[in-house]
Order: sequence, then structure tokens, then C-alpha cells
Amino acid sequence: MTIKRLLVFLPLLVTVILLQSYFWVPTFSDQVKGSDRRLSQYISGSIGDAQILNPILHADTTSGAIVEQVFDGLIDRDKNLRFRGRLATSWRIYEETFFAPRPDGPTAEALRDLIRAAVSAKSVPWANEVTGVEIAAAASEKVSIFLPPAKKGQKPRREAFTLAYPARVKVTLKSVDQDFFKKLIILLGQDAFADDPAPYLPEGLDERVKKAALGRVNLTEHNPVIIFKLRQDVRFHDGHEFDSGDVRFTYESIMNPRNLSPRVPDFEPIKTVETPARFTVKVTYKRLYSPAFGTWGMQILPEHLLNKKALEAEARSLGRDLKKFTMRDSGFNRSPLGTGAFKFKEWQSDELIRLVRNDDYWEGPAKYNEYIMRIIPDPLTQEMAFYAGTVDSYGAGTHQVERLRNDPRFQVFSGLSFGFTYIGYNLRREPFKDVRVRRALSMAVDTRKIHKFVLYGEAENITGPFVKQSEHYNKLVKPLPHDPKGAERLLHEAGWKKAGGKLVKDGKQLAFKLVTNNGNESRKAISQVVQDAWKRIGVKVSLDRVEWAVFLQKYINALNFDAVILGWRLGLEPDLYQIWHSSQTNPHQLNFVGYKNSKADDLIIKIRQEYDLKKQVGFAHRLHEIIYRDQPYTFLYVGKWTALLDKKIVVAEKGAGGKSSYRKIHPTPTGNYTYDFRKWLKLPVNPRFEG
Amino acid sequence: MTAYIIRTAFFKIITLVIISIISFLIIHLAPGQPSQIDPLNPRFRKEDIARYRAAFDLDKPLWKQYYLFYKKLGSGELKSFKDNQPVLGKIWRRFMNSLPLFVVGTILTWCLSFPMGIPAALNRGGIYDRTTTFLSYFFISFPGFVLAYLLILGVAGMFEVPVLGMRTFGQETAPTLYWLNDRVWHLVLPSLLGAIGGIAFLSRYVRVQMIEVIDSDFVRTAHSKGLDENTVYYVHALRNAALPFVTMFGLLIPALIGGSVIIENIFAWPGMGRMAFEAILARDYPIVISLNFFAAILVLIGTFISDILLVIVDPRIRL
Amino acid sequence: MTIGTDALQGDEFAEEILTPWQRIGRSLLQDRFAMWGAVVLVFFFALAIVGWWGTSGDDPYFSPSTIRLPDRLKPPMAKPNLEDVAPGKLPPLGIYPFGTDELGRDVFARMLEGSKFAMAVGFVAVGISMILGVFLGGIAGFHGNKHIGPASLLGAILFPVAGGFLFSEISWWILFPLEGALLFIGVVLGMWVESLPAFGFLKQHPIVNVDTIFIVLVDVQLSFPTFFLILTAIAVLPPSIWNIMVVIGITGWVGPARFVRAEILSLRERPFIEAARAIGAKDMRLIIIHLVPNSLAAVLVSVTIGVPLAILSEAGLSFLGFGVPPPDASWGNILSDGRKFLFDAPWLMFIPGFAILIVVLAFNLFGEGLRDALNPRTRPE
Repeated sequence: MTIKRLLVFLPLLVTVILLQSYFWVPTFSDQVKGSDRRLSQYISGSIGDAQILNPILHADTTSGAIVEQVFDGLIDRDKNLRFRGRLATSWRIYEETFFAPRPDGPTAEALRDLIRAAVSAKSVPWANEVTGVEIAAAASEKVSIFLPPAKKGQKPRREAFTLAYPARVKVTLKSVDQDFFKKLIILLGQDAFADDPAPYLPEGLDERVKKAALGRVNLTEHNPVIIFKLRQDVRFHDGHEFDSGDVRFTYESIMNPRNLSPRVPDFEPIKTVETPARFTVKVTYKRLYSPAFGTWGMQILPEHLLNKKALEAEARSLGRDLKKFTMRDSGFNRSPLGTGAFKFKEWQSDELIRLVRNDDYWEGPAKYNEYIMRIIPDPLTQEMAFYAGTVDSYGAGTHQVERLRNDPRFQVFSGLSFGFTYIGYNLRREPFKDVRVRRALSMAVDTRKIHKFVLYGEAENITGPFVKQSEHYNKLVKPLPHDPKGAERLLHEAGWKKAGGKLVKDGKQLAFKLVTNNGNESRKAISQVVQDAWKRIGVKVSLDRVEWAVFLQKYINALNFDAVILGWRLGLEPDLYQIWHSSQTNPHQLNFVGYKNSKADDLIIKIRQEYDLKKQVGFAHRLHEIIYRDQPYTFLYVGKWTALLDKKIVVAEKGAGGKSSYRKIHPTPTGNYTYDFRKWLKLPVNPRFEG
Repeated sequence: MTAYIIRTAFFKIITLVIISIISFLIIHLAPGQPSQIDPLNPRFRKEDIARYRAAFDLDKPLWKQYYLFYKKLGSGELKSFKDNQPVLGKIWRRFMNSLPLFVVGTILTWCLSFPMGIPAALNRGGIYDRTTTFLSYFFISFPGFVLAYLLILGVAGMFEVPVLGMRTFGQETAPTLYWLNDRVWHLVLPSLLGAIGGIAFLSRYVRVQMIEVIDSDFVRTAHSKGLDENTVYYVHALRNAALPFVTMFGLLIPALIGGSVIIENIFAWPGMGRMAFEAILARDYPIVISLNFFAAILVLIGTFISDILLVIVDPRIRL
Repeated sequence: MTIGTDALQGDEFAEEILTPWQRIGRSLLQDRFAMWGAVVLVFFFALAIVGWWGTSGDDPYFSPSTIRLPDRLKPPMAKPNLEDVAPGKLPPLGIYPFGTDELGRDVFARMLEGSKFAMAVGFVAVGISMILGVFLGGIAGFHGNKHIGPASLLGAILFPVAGGFLFSEISWWILFPLEGALLFIGVVLGMWVESLPAFGFLKQHPIVNVDTIFIVLVDVQLSFPTFFLILTAIAVLPPSIWNIMVVIGITGWVGPARFVRAEILSLRERPFIEAARAIGAKDMRLIIIHLVPNSLAAVLVSVTIGVPLAILSEAGLSFLGFGVPPPDASWGNILSDGRKFLFDAPWLMFIPGFAILIVVLAFNLFGEGLRDALNPRTRPE
């Protein structure tokens, strides 16, 4: 009998024990059940685990998000996407210019005196700009050039040699002026400047090397200089003081080839980083390149933990080969330490990364005690975790926005992505050589239909190559109308005549292939909408989709395509050189559509050399217009993102009299809702705000 | 007895050796040279191939690769491709996370199967028998992940309560009762789902065993002696029917571990199953091979215990 | 059937003399669950055939891959959007009986295509399991108590190991059959050595019998968490539906092998086999004429267990992203693609989910009926 009772009683007991636990678990609306610790935690979800928590080495978004909390950069961007100081309190940008005198002309000394006289007499309009005129002693520069293989089958090679510069004239300017030498020519005459680079090359270079090397000689040189003044009250999480040495160390670590840092291209234009004082950094650039300033958002590493001595000690304690042990092998990458608002606490692979508040943060401690990144690989699981209140934010898919937008439990933010999707035409080929054809193709496509059917309305028109919410984007450029009739007229003008439903010119039908990569469902859908739209005006299009690697290799890099659907993800720097300059149209380069326009080239160069924001924006607006008029792309859309937050999260602020008050989270004018993150806090119940 | 244990252990070891060979050879299934796995896969870069060659000593003959691999694994030298952490430590941590799931799953299976199966055997052909038969097959046939989503949707949707992961964040400092019950609550759904197949299967097995015993002579004799019905069934019959279940203990383990791949993925449970899936996605072969190997060791230990128990409870078996 | 006498040997004295197959048939007819299972299965086969015919070719009647963007995520029984969908792309039935997915593809057509794959995966995989299982189980059952001498065992180990040494650089699809062949050669050579009079003493020292080897093999297979093993193998192999079938098939041999072995062991003891032996029938003849037809029922039961398992395995693989590669639709990958839309379009998950449930359940119930019919003692009376 006991057995029978046991057989009934035991399962009941187990069931009851398991089910009663429900009453102890916090729910979405009662997240403080048992403990109010949850209110001081911010928990975000991530699809993939972090790879390497080192600001100069990471290349994935999860690591990026963590690094951003643990480390600080010298600068970042404010509400309006303008630069503001972080570890740097202020900065000054000026310029040192150099030119070599013509060997058979007046000497450097003579030229120096000439300029000095003109400046002190204020006989030139730019006299106030000059802060010094000197002689730069003869110097040599080590150069290495990369030679592509001359014939198929040969290996590319690297050639290193030394350039010998004579004594040159150095003029220091108050601010950067890309046209300075044009002005100087008016004073000194063209004859004062050296124009033949050949004498500066070493003897005995072979013809091919020589040809390439000539381009590397700088007869005139702009060296922009940035002086950063650093904050003096900043300490790393271990109490070590932050100073200019850490900045220089970070730069040197990036450029150290052993570290294989993916940031090398960003910092390549730098000539030197010097530390004239404990809290002053002087950065000298090799050439005019204004977008380089933004790279100082780069988070700063602690030198005392990662310098050669520290690494050697670590290698020794691990019993590793000192020569093979680099920063990539250091334990630092799994337990980083910086100056940021949060300190690293623990990382459990594929589960979570936990950061705790840095109470000594120079900007004042954050409101949250903990920042937790949970690794939840499945988007659906993430969504459900969000509904249960165990993850604080959720990025909604385009198809979900409509359902979630008015949910009273959440606050919803949305904004435009940095980038756009487009159809690119191979401008080297017929029929795309003719701008009228390109315009006609663009006019035939109803972008609104794509927005509606492919992106559930979560997209906007875009007309140009810049980030849509940046100042550089020209809002005055009007998009081409959706006008199939007009498109047919344009094609007619361009010589394509209708014949039995086909468009024919010189006996050839207007037909081409539209290619895109496999695995991107929205591009696949777009290709079908576009095919249908073009069919209606008589253009015959066949579709092809291939794997990404093959797509790049066989089509894009080989320049072997008619039209492609692709997207660009953009940074905020308005540098369009790689994508739009005519010198970048060779195989393996990014201007694969082959866009060439000398006016555009000129503006692209001017933009990247201009340090004055207003002038730069002016150039950008003109460039935007030119590119849109040429329609090398059919610009399709810029996507919208939508983010959801628990409504209980608010911004806590110290009001008048030191009383803390709460306000709603407001996104910045450019859509960034996490701007005030360090002031966020979660309340036990949904707050009510006045008005 | 000792001889039997030694004999059993000997066979388990032979089995283990064969398993270690098969686990190791699986990655050699890849077409072409294993060193060039999937050249079009952009994830497999040059340095990965180098790492791969180093981890598997590909320049050496196959038998030596095998030997070196398990030597490295045993000495803790073997590192994961993904984060360079020692494989042994990683697997141990994940195993400890999975263990509560396995334990509660096993408890559920054994607690619920008997009360389900025995009455079915006693009322052979009755409504209860038919219903449990149908329900058993229903749950065996239900794709686990669909059931999981149905349950999550129901529970999480109705009560807005967290069901994913091992615990609710923020409960670390809560009073013990809250904290403990939070952990228990998070176990409920995944362990139930992990156990459901086992329950269905085992309750069927209990029914069949009971029927065999009930029909046997000694039960009829017991009846005719005028013993009370409950005593006959629950004491005499059950004791005899229960013997073969001991072997079931070992056999249910592989299903529990295999099933954990899907369950742990859905419930974001940082256990062995999820680790296996992540390792497979990342082509983290040291982890994949080791996990296959360790899962097999777990099963072997389970079946070994079953074998020993069987001899202890059933004196008739003497080999 | 050739062996009508069998029924008389059973425990019960039948009122009329039935062949075993007739008995099974009667028993099945009385089992309501099994009959329902059978009806559903017939329906499923019909559906799979319709699916095969209706979704294959360049211009199928039910097109599972036609994309209609304006008709995305339509609920079941919805009418198409006649304004925006091109006339050539409208669904043949005039409505979407099972709704549409995120690209506006007709879920009904996709389910039809999926039924074709479900059947193919189920039966091909189980076919492979059966061949392996019947072979291994047959040997174990028939030759189970034969002893293997030290020479054959040595050959069986040495030859494949030597092969591993010599050919470690060859790709697996040559290496594995090669190793199999080497194993065979090793055993045969060993047996030949043992048969030589000079080595007669070897025969006195048998090490292990066939049955023990069989049990070790079964132990090895059962010790792997099967799904784990399948997932690993599928992930390493290039994505293809054939690889899925082969891997599921290879890992599923234990069930049928044990069934067949048990069946043959019990058959061997039956008088009619002993009688045949006494007349001097050869082993081959015994196997083909007597044992194979009699163990067919066991094989059938294994099929009813194996097919649903294979279907579930494929669905599980698809769920984790390793199933039938797109653009082909299997029930598993319709389900796993639809998972993202659980809150927005639940039918994408529940229609294939329930289809799998129903078919697998039907197989299981029918299988249960079949087992009861073979072993009447556990049958509900």
C-alpha cells in the first residue's frame, strides 16, 4: 500500500515544488519582486558573442559595444553629430607647409626672407595667417612602395628606398589652408618651386620602380597638426593616471605590424604622434586629410598594462615564447581595463559579459550599477526575453514595427540607418553609358512600392551619397519622379525605338542582367519588383543571384556585370574618395561602376582636404547634386531601424537644489536615443510625465 | 560479482576506444583535405587553416593525429578555436550548467512514468489505457521545438514571466527563497520538455512490463491465495516488473543529451547542448569532437551503473 | 505463404487456421488507433504523390517558389491581392489555404513540396537503416554463437589500422569503403590461416564470438547521443538532401538490427528450421526461404518506428539550420523560417508543426498496432 501511495504522492510533490516556484519569480510589470537590484542593471541582448575586447583589435559589433563602455576616446560626437571632447578637453588644428626650391633658382634662405618680408609688411592678404617661416634642414624619408604583378603569375613585390630631400622652406599657418601654395605662387612666382622630383630619388632604381616612386616625392607638402589638451583628472580603473603617453602608445600599438590591427588604414596618414607635455599630444599628419580627425574617437589603451615590459612579463608567467607573444595573445583582451564609465567584471563565453559602474568616472558615475550584455543567438528568444523584462531593449524587425509601435508597455524609437541601398550600373557598358538611359531606368522604378512591399514602409527615399541626417547631405536635391511615360520618352530620345514590345537600337535589344548576392531576402525581393517595373517600359532584364564570395570575386572585383543591387554602409566622415573618385575604378576597387566626372573628382579631393566644416559642407552639397544628376546609381532607399525600450527606463537628472528628477528619454535630432545612457535608470513602475 | 564488473568495465572501455575513433574521424568526413575545409567559406581564413593544422597535427599520419589529439585533450592543452580557452574547462562549466536540467529531467521521467503506466496495465483496454497510450504517442510525435514554442508562448504570453535562461538577472541579492525558486522556475519548462519523450516512452514500457508480469503464474497464484489486490499488484508484481527498468536508466541518457541541443538553444540555456551547436556553427572542431566524446562517456557511465544495479537487484543474473 | 504450419505451433489454439499475416491483419483491423493511423498514412502518401506531381518541373501547377510581395504574411484562407499580383502568379486554387510566408509564397504549395521531401527523407533514410540493420542483425542472429579465432581477429584489427597508416591522406569516400574492404580481407585471411592444419591449435583458442562484437557495436551506436552525432556529421558535410538521408540512415541501424536478430534467434529454435536443417538444407537456403520471409514483420515494425524518427530528425536539423537546403521547402525548414514570425504569422510555424505531428503520430499508432498484432499479449483486449 505504501508503494501505491508513494507512487501518487511523489509525483505530486515534485510537481508542486516545481510549479510553486512561479510565485517567486519577477514578472515584466513587477521586476522588483524579491530584490530591487534589477532597477540598477541595464541588460542588453546580442546575437553573437564578443570576439576580442580590445579597442584596437576588435572587428565585431558586440565587442564594439562593450569596448565603448569600458574605454574612452579623446573625442566623440554630440547631439548634432559635431565633435566634442572626452579625454581631450580642447584641441587646436594648424598646419606646417613645406616646399622645395628649384635647384637652379633662388635658395631656400632667399625665399624664406622674401616671405618673411612680405608677411611683416602685410603686403599679402594671408599675412595674418602665418605664424612662422623657417628653413627645414635637408632630410631623408624612408619609403616603401607596393608594385602589382607585372605579368600574370608573378607575385606582387614591395620595394623600399630612401628619398633625400634638400633644405626646404617651412611655413607655419594658423589654420589649415589647402590653397596655400596657390597663394604663395602669386608672391614667389611658379619658378621658385621645384618641379622635377627625379633628383630626390636614389640612384639605380629600375624603370618600373622609378615610375611608381616619382609619385611619392612631395615637392610641396601640407602637414596638418592637431594639438590635443588632455583631461588631467582621469584615472584608469586600476587607479593609474591617464596621460599623453597612453595616447601615443595606442597609436603605436595600432601601427605595430605584429598586432595586425584592423585600424591601420585610419591611422596611416599620421606622420608622428608626440607628447610635448604630460597632458598634451601633438599629432602631425603626412598630408591634408580632414576625415582623419574623427579617428581620435579611438578608445585609449592603458600603456602600463600592455607595453613591451608588461607583455614580456605576461609571456614569461605563461611560459610562452617571448618573440611570438603579441598584444593579441594577452589576457587583457578577455578582461579589458580602461578609463570608461563601466569596469569590466566577468565574461562567460556565449552567455554574458558583465560590467560594473566606475564610481570614479571623470564625468561623474553612471546611474546604472551594472551593464550586462547577454548573448542570445536567436532573435525570437531575444524578443521573448524582452517581453518578460529580462532584456531591456529590442531591435524590432521591419515587419514587427506596426504591431509594436503602439504597445503601451514600451517606448519606441526609430531613426534612419547610416547607409543606403542602390542599383549600380556598369557605366563602361552600353546602354548605361548614356545618362538618359540611366535616368529612364530610375524613373521607371517606383521606390515607394519597394518601401511598402519589401520594407513594410520602414524606409525613406535617398538622393545622394551621404548619410541622410548629416549636414553634408543636400536636402534640396529633388528625387526623380516615378514616371514610366517620361522614362519611355527619354529612352526614345536616347535612340531606343519600340519594335514589337522590345526596345531596339542599331539592331540590338535593350536587355541586361541584374545580379545580387544570395541570402539577402530583401535584395531578392527588390530585384523582382525592379524587373517587373522595367518590363513595363520594354526593358528586358534577367536576374541572377550568387553566393557573396563568388559575387565579389567574379562580378564586382572583375568589373564583369551589367547592373547590381547592393548597399553601402557609411560612416559620418564625408570622404567619398574610394567609392566615387575616377582613380578608383580599377578591378578590386570600390568605384566598380566606373563613375568618372572631373568636377566630382575635384570636389571629392577638396572635401577630404578641407578642415573648415562650413566650406566642406558647401562642397559636399555641390557634389551631391552632381552625382544625383549623373545617376550612376538608382538610389533606392535608406532603411529605418526601430528600437524598443521598457517604458520604466527614464533619464534621471539632478534638478535645481540637488533634487533628482526624472524625464522621458528624448532621442537627439539625429535619432540617437542612447545619447544620455549614463543618466538612464529603471523605475519600479511605469512613470507618468506631465504634458 | 567482481568478475562481472571487470568484464563489463572492459567492454565499456573497448566501446569508449571505438567511440573516440569515430568522434575523431567525423571531421575527416569533410570533402577533400581536412586542412582545406570549405575553401569558399569566408570564415575559414588562412590563419584558421594554420590553427587547424596545428590542433590536429595534420602533417602526421592519421593514427598519430588521433593519439596526439586525445593526449592534448587529456592534458588540458587542447584549446578552443574560438576563444583559445582550454577545452576541458569550457566543457566542464557547461556540463555543470546542464546538470540540473538532466537531474530534474530524470526525476520527472521516473516520477511520472510509473503512475502513468501501471494503472494503464491494470485497466488494459480501458479508457485510461487508451488515453495514456494516445497521449504517449502524441508527445513522442510532437516535434520538441514546436511544443517548446507553444509552451513559451502560452506561459510567457499569459503571465509575462521570464522563462528563458538559467535565472532572472537582478535576483542575485534577493533572499534565498526567492533566488532559489527563481532557479527552480527556470528549470521547469526545459526539463519538462527534455523529459516528455522519456516519460512517454517509459510509461509505455512500464505498461508492457506490468502486463507481462500480471499474466504470469506467480501473480495468479498470489491472487488465488486471496491476497489483497493492491498488495499483489504494487508489491509483488511491480517488484518483478521493475527489474528491467534499471537498464532504462542508462538508455534514457543519450536522448536527454541529444535533445538538449534544441531545448537549450530555444531556452538560451548555457549548457552542453548549446555549446555543441555554437561550436558547430563556428567550426570549432576541438570542442565538437570533445563534446561527442564526453557525451558518450556520460552515457557509458550511465549504462555501467545500470548494469551493476541490475546484478545487485536481480540475483538471477550472474554471468 | 509457405509456412502454414506455423500458426499451429502458437500458444493459443486458433479456431480457424490463419496464416501469420492473416492474423496480423485481423488484429490490426480491430485496433481503432492503428486504423486511424493507416487512414492518415494513406492520405499522406496520396498527398506526397500529388506534391511530387504538382510541384516538380519548370512550371509546376502549385508553385512553391513564386514570390508575390504584395501578398506577404497573409493568414490561411486569405484571398490574393488581385490589383498588385501579376495574373500569372495567382495561386491555382484562388485562395491561399494555408496563408503565405514573408515573401508571399503559397504555404500550401510549399507544404505539398515538403510532403514529398518528408516521404523521401523518411523512406530513403529508413531504407539505408534497414539494409544495414538486416545485414548486421541477420549475421548476429544466425552466426551469433560462432567464435572468432585469434587470427581472424588480428586480421580484422591489423588490416584497417595498416590502411589508416598508409592512406591517411585519401578523402573519406574512398577511405571508408577501402577500410571496409580491408576489414573483410583481414577476416577472410585470418579464417584461412585458422583452417590450415599447421595452425589448427588456433581454433582451440577462440577469443570472442560474433554476438559479442554485435553487442559492442550496438553499445557504441547507443552511446552516442544520436542527434548530436547527426548534427556534427551534417555540419561537416556539404549541404545536400542526400547527405541528410544517408547520415540519418546510417545512425538508425540499431533498432532494425536488434529486431531482426531477436526474430531470427527465436525462429532458429522453431521445429520447422530444425527440420529443414535435418533434411540438410544449406545456410543460404535457410536464410532466403525460411528466415527472411518470417522476419519481414519485424522489419515492417522497424520501418514504422524509423520513418517518423527520420522525419523528426530532419525537422530538428532544419530547425537548427542544417536541414534540406533552400530553395527547396521541407516541413522542417518552412517551420524554422517561420519561427521569426511567431508573433506576426503563427501559422508559418504551426501548420508544418502540426503536419509533422499528425504524420509522425499516424506512423507511431500504426506501428503500435502492428507490434501488438505481432505480440498479442500486450494487446488491449
